Amino acid sequence: MIPESKLNILQDLVKTSSREELIWINGYLNALVSTAAEDGSSNGAPRSMKRMTVLYGTETGNSKKLALQLTASAKKNGQPVKCAAVEQYKLEDLEKEEYLFIVISTQGEGEPPITAKKFYDHIMEAALKLPSLQYAVLALGDSSYPLFCKTGIDIDERLALAGAKRVVPVRMLDVDFEEPASQWFTEVLSELQQSDKLIPIATATKEPAKKQIKKHFSGTIIKNINLNDRGSDRETYHIEIKATEEMDYEPGDSIAIIPSNRREVVVRIIELAGVDADLLANTGKYEGQVLDLLLNKLNICYLLGSTVKKYAALTGHIIPDMRLDLVDLLRIYPLKNASQFHEVLAMLNPIAPRLYSIASAPSSDPTEVHITVSRHRFLKEDEQQYGLCSSFLGDLHSGSTISFYIHRSRQFKLPALEKDIIMVGPGTGIASFRSFLMERDNTAATGRNWLFFGEKDFTTDFLYQQELQQFVQTGVLHQIDLSFTKNHTKKAYVEDNMKAQGEMLFRWLEAGAHFYLSGVKDPLTGKVEEALIGIIAKHGRRSMEEARIYFDNLKKEDRYHKDVY
Amino acid sequence: MSNKKQFTPVERIKLASDGLRGSLVQSLQDEITGALREDDQALIKFHGMYQQDDRDRREERSEKKLEWLYSFMIRLRLPGGFMTGEQWKGMHHIAGEHSTGVIKITTRQTIQLHGILKSHIKPTLQSFNTYALDSIAACGDVNRNVTCSAHPFRSAVHEEVFVYADKISRMALPKTRSYYEIWLDELPLTNKEEEKDPLYQDRYLPRKFKIGIAIPPDNDVDVLSNDVGLIAIVEDGILKGFNLAVGGGLGTTHGNTATYPRLATVIGFLDTEEKVMKAVYEVITIQRDHGDRTDRKLARLKYTIDCMGLDAFVGELEKRCGFPLGEARSFEFTERKDHFGWNQNHQGKWYYTAFVESGRILDKPGATLKTACYEIAETGNANFRFTCNQNLVISDVLDEHRTQINGILENHGVTSLTEHSTPIRKSAIACVAFNTCPLALAEAQRYLPSLITRIEPLLKKYNILDDEISIRMTGCPNGCGRPTMAEIGLIGTAYGKYNLHLGGDRYGLRLNKKYRADLDEAQILNELDILLGAYALERNQTETFGDYIIRRQIL
Repeated sequence: MIPESKLNILQDLVKTSSREELIWINGYLNALVSTAAEDGSSNGAPRSMKRMTVLYGTETGNSKKLALQLTASAKKNGQPVKCAAVEQYKLEDLEKEEYLFIVISTQGEGEPPITAKKFYDHIMEAALKLPSLQYAVLALGDSSYPLFCKTGIDIDERLALAGAKRVVPVRMLDVDFEEPASQWFTEVLSELQQSDKLIPIATATKEPAKKQIKKHFSGTIIKNINLNDRGSDRETYHIEIKATEEMDYEPGDSIAIIPSNRREVVVRIIELAGVDADLLANTGKYEGQVLDLLLNKLNICYLLGSTVKKYAALTGHIIPDMRLDLVDLLRIYPLKNASQFHEVLAMLNPIAPRLYSIASAPSSDPTEVHITVSRHRFLKEDEQQYGLCSSFLGDLHSGSTISFYIHRSRQFKLPALEKDIIMVGPGTGIASFRSFLMERDNTAATGRNWLFFGEKDFTTDFLYQQELQQFVQTGVLHQIDLSFTKNHTKKAYVEDNMKAQGEMLFRWLEAGAHFYLSGVKDPLTGKVEEALIGIIAKHGRRSMEEARIYFDNLKKEDRYHKDVY
Repeated sequence: MSNKKQFTPVERIKLASDGLRGSLVQSLQDEITGALREDDQALIKFHGMYQQDDRDRREERSEKKLEWLYSFMIRLRLPGGFMTGEQWKGMHHIAGEHSTGVIKITTRQTIQLHGILKSHIKPTLQSFNTYALDSIAACGDVNRNVTCSAHPFRSAVHEEVFVYADKISRMALPKTRSYYEIWLDELPLTNKEEEKDPLYQDRYLPRKFKIGIAIPPDNDVDVLSNDVGLIAIVEDGILKGFNLAVGGGLGTTHGNTATYPRLATVIGFLDTEEKVMKAVYEVITIQRDHGDRTDRKLARLKYTIDCMGLDAFVGELEKRCGFPLGEARSFEFTERKDHFGWNQNHQGKWYYTAFVESGRILDKPGATLKTACYEIAETGNANFRFTCNQNLVISDVLDEHRTQINGILENHGVTSLTEHSTPIRKSAIACVAFNTCPLALAEAQRYLPSLITRIEPLLKKYNILDDEISIRMTGCPNGCGRPTMAEIGLIGTAYGKYNLHLGGDRYGLRLNKKYRADLDEAQILNELDILLGAYALERNQTETFGDYIIRRQIL
């Protein structure tokens, strides 16, 4: 029926597509055929002039960025569209919407971004009837957390229940979201072009996120050193973990550590609940002795408002809408009897893992991983996200054991041996680059290596100083530019050094160098990207617009890599 | 010593240094380290600095993957140990901004600051420059700071003699402009002939070179410890000229029997300024041409003279000078210690000599000396002098300002500390040693005060607490604290261990000798207990401890 060349393309496409993609292709072709039949032509896709709204709920700015990209693409296609943050959106407008696209992230324990909480609660709890709405949800998350993309999935399901029709299935995006997001935009926009004849993919495919099988390792802390000298206001720990077996990881990967809860708190919980520590329990997700579950599996700190609500319903207490530790719940609002505790256990979410970039190279010793942890970052995150319950860092003294798994990075990877690399990693951003340098050294990579490092004080805060000196002396590190805020006036930050070295930096880029950025996200990312674009413009004699395109091309060519947190 | 022996690496560095520039500019730009490149570490001494590191912190820093805590000691060139009040104020601020904050009076009458990070060197030297202070040739294989008796009230010709220190210092400065280029951003010379150096050539000296000037009866400068000692000869209140002494030097090396301390030998008399300058200059050229450049341990002038023979040396000197040396005049030293408290000179100006333990000017509870000095400097009514005993003289105070200055000294506990410290403590000298001196084998300035605290009860027990016994301690045998010229010399051999030297005189005219080796504190105290007890019991009237040891042939 069709020429072999076309058949080959089709077979190729089928072979390389996932089930979801095939369902979508099916729908797409169907719509195409019926449109073509009515119009008598296969081009000239009709344009939808229906209202389109893009909403985003964001914590870090990623959802916003994607929402704006989708909006811009729609506009290019001539589609009228408005874009808004969910917290600024009038909830009563929902029923008037025709096309609604929601980009929303999920935080630590499956919660919506703080600013999106009201919107989320409204969707979840209001009696919505949205039969004329067509929608799609782009869910952002981090697959190393147990409740991956939960907020987006919840919203998607809930809108379907309210009678709305999915334009495309909910798409779950992991930390490197940019490529799959733009694919999703293409899908969405081509659906819109078929809008009149749209075949709703209502049945679609609510497949659970592909369960990554994560191998858990048991490790012993063999070293835990504060790298900052006396007198520094920083505390950055170099922690070496020895596993009982070889680990399969690459430079650029992270480890996820699941911290344990404090034993004395767990003991108190068991006491308050009036159960035996060795009682066997099954939470649906985990099975084991109560003591072990509470120590190592279940989060008992700063419980979600929704969990507190469930607890209130179970125990019949009136409890204000707030987040509480389990021990306080049990103390202030006691259980009716010990047997209720099984249900309480089932309400608890798993302990969220903490992710740290690996600072060692497998080529040095595949049974070891090193990490570089700022106490400030740890405490700040712990306070904001976990309620300061864990004493993880303090417990990591030599000889103690921890459980962890490797969290792979898909994009933060070393290039081919002969490629040059430029690494910008102030503070703990150095971690991945220590790994990179060790690996490049061990593999005798021929590409040149250039590091920009920055911290506060040269004397006390020069992380891994002696090792970096050795990398310079042995010719592994070809160029190093340092900025210390306390010691420099003109070159206080890494971006200042980048600008000062702009000409050479641009030459490296022109010669095909890969650019890496690692460290605490804000304001580093913005400053470095701005500096980089400025350098491209200045030394590449380009307009800012052209420089941005050059920068975007770096990304497209997979030469711009970012690991920020 | 054969001529075929290789020159030391330092000789190569000096020759190749392009006027002491080396790669100092690049070394300063190496942002990855707080240290200098190896060759530059030798060259920076000629600019008045030593690269050091905090030896207490080495292990811990290494564990933290940090390099050693490198910093620099900067020593000023301060001929005769004099500074105006204005300069002191500058020094006070510079010390606070760039160094540990402690202002250290050295055993050679100058000031040094410690703990200056590499990135702070240039700002420090530039600040010094705004106060007309510099550190050129304060260290290195050149003539170092020229010392001169520090107590103006003791002689009407003091001012006249004092200017020699400055003249000699200028004469013996290296001609290279590198200090000005590297540290003060002066433009490089277009004509290198302008910095051609007939004295040092491009070799400089084989080793350090020291010059001191004493005005009898005071020998506070320990004049015979110098390569060149000038002893002022004053008759009827008129400066007649100087005796010339050569070949002093106290440094030795443990276990190297070829090394020894030596007092300078008086070889003649010089009756005019012109002759003095010429003779000093030619002693330097002889050392330049004949000093041993193959072994730094045997490179000082004392070995050159002993190698040539004294007569041959004098002959060579007279030949180079073009005039014979006069016959040495007689002189007598009867004092070496400082004259604490208020004293007045012949013009009616007042001088207050304050006790500064180990020469360290800082604020301590009960004695806020550093603040006192600053307040005095701010009045604009005094100058500052430093003694080779590491004490401070508040100088040139007019009668009408004496009450004001004394009030400041009293308010800050300086007078009280000076009056109430025992004579042995006030005349004690200790070198820097740990934690910054790279040569130190044992503690010195951090330890001697507490050792004296344990010796004082012994003196009290024997009722000799008022005795002015001189005690000096160094952390190694290089002699910075002149321990071989003390009645009790303690020379570090290992951490917590000292050789005990005895039998030196009180005025700097006789070396002591090693009495016991490798003693720890208990052993030191035990030995001193016995010896001091015997001394108190058996001494003749006015006999000093050192003289007693010799008379009783205890050594």
